[in-house]
Amino acid sequence: MIGLRFYFLRQALMNMRRNLTVHILSLGTIVASLLILGAFLLLFGNLNNWLRQWGSSLSMSVYLKDGTSAYKRDKIDSFIRGLPGAQIRRFVTKEEALEELKAALGEEAAFLESLTHNPLPASYEVVFENTGHGDIHPEKIKAQLAALDGVEDVQHSREWLKRAEGFLDIVRLIGYIIAGLLCLCVVFIITNTIKLTIYSRRDEIEILKLVGATDWFVKLPFLLEGMIQGILGGGTALLTLFLGYLAISRNHIYLIGPAPLRFVFLPGEYMVLLFSLSLALGIIGSFIAIGRFFDG
Amino acid sequence: MIQLFHLSKKFGPNIALHNIDLRIGKGEFVFVTGPSGAGKTTLLRLIFGAEKPATGHILINAVNLNRISRPKLDLLRRKIGFVFQDFKLLSNKTVFENVAIALEVTGLRPKFVKKKTHQTLRLVGLAEKEKAYPLSLSGGEQQRVAIARAIVKDPLILLADEPTGNLDPGLTREIMALFRSIHQRGTTVVIATHSRELLKGMESRTVVLNQGRIFEDRC
Repeated sequence: MIGLRFYFLRQALMNMRRNLTVHILSLGTIVASLLILGAFLLLFGNLNNWLRQWGSSLSMSVYLKDGTSAYKRDKIDSFIRGLPGAQIRRFVTKEEALEELKAALGEEAAFLESLTHNPLPASYEVVFENTGHGDIHPEKIKAQLAALDGVEDVQHSREWLKRAEGFLDIVRLIGYIIAGLLCLCVVFIITNTIKLTIYSRRDEIEILKLVGATDWFVKLPFLLEGMIQGILGGGTALLTLFLGYLAISRNHIYLIGPAPLRFVFLPGEYMVLLFSLSLALGIIGSFIAIGRFFDG
Repeated sequence: MIQLFHLSKKFGPNIALHNIDLRIGKGEFVFVTGPSGAGKTTLLRLIFGAEKPATGHILINAVNLNRISRPKLDLLRRKIGFVFQDFKLLSNKTVFENVAIALEVTGLRPKFVKKKTHQTLRLVGLAEKEKAYPLSLSGGEQQRVAIARAIVKDPLILLADEPTGNLDPGLTREIMALFRSIHQRGTTVVIATHSRELLKGMESRTVVLNQGRIFEDRC
């Protein structure tokens, strides 16, 4: 039986070698499809994480009017410190705000040079502890802060959370549709690649059947071929995604709110999901191909 | 060994075989002859299970091919060697690989496959050519590869369709001698041929077909 297993694997690899160009093209498309899917998962996973972080804590940005005097600022400072559970994490001056924006924009920050004055306001970054007990009412605090002299605007993380959750639902729906279409595309590609291999080996298949090969003896190498495509496609896509992640994650991401967000790679279960999906699509694709060829 | 009862086969409106009754015993050497279109190839293909009869029954070793499942037919074919008129060799495989394929499908150990293939190639006189590719061989050598592939699994029955059709008289004698030696080892041999030259001097049972019917069955 060991000899036979090696026979099937040898045949599968030989098929792939004989139709190398077709297999490379097919693999490229599979990797590209899985990369799109993986990138979506990565983005979706991180958005989800960030939302969860915001959901578990309350943070506020209190933006000050330009030219607010030190006296007014002290009053605002004292008011914030008097709020239950509130901690001023930092005070961001107008200059610091601009520098942080420049850092976040990277090379694209050049257009900021043309500004005649700094339009960004100074702000307080405030965090609230023990927000799970329901004793903090963000809307009430926001109204109190907004009423203070010198305060331009107040934004809190729960506002973003509500909007982001709605946005995330739409993203999730779009993701399902894209994932479904990409899966169909991968199955279609694998099916056609295996069909081409089967077609190129039709003489050999005829002879195998004539010398007494069972259907499964003939089919198994093609099934293995689909599995190998799935494994290689899944593996390459994950590796490429990881390299892409490494390149991106060197920069802090200032998406929303006062604090830089940590960009994390796919969790283990997502990686297993993506890899298993690729393997399953490989098997399904080759099953369809051999089913159509041998039963048709 | 081979029993055919009221066997008929049609291809569209054309009747290829009509009401054939034939029994071939174990270890027999039989020629099936007749003009082109007499139904020789169809008869062999029916015995091999490559075609289904319109009516009638085929029994191979007491197994009715009409009632056999597809997987069992695959297993039965391992007991039947078939030498095709057009050889059906794979041009991208070596002589050795072309012969070994018949054993590989049975799941035998690679060591045994190697040993048995070498033995068979020696038997047909092609030991020196095992690494050659079919297209680099002469017609006679290609025919011997096809025979080697058919006999490597020690079949109970050997069917050969016009095995000397493209060969010169010298090679024809060589190939026939090979069939005789295979027969002497106990294999039932059925050879389809339209060549009268081939039958001259052969003291074997000869079934003559004409227009899909048995015209004569002489021993």
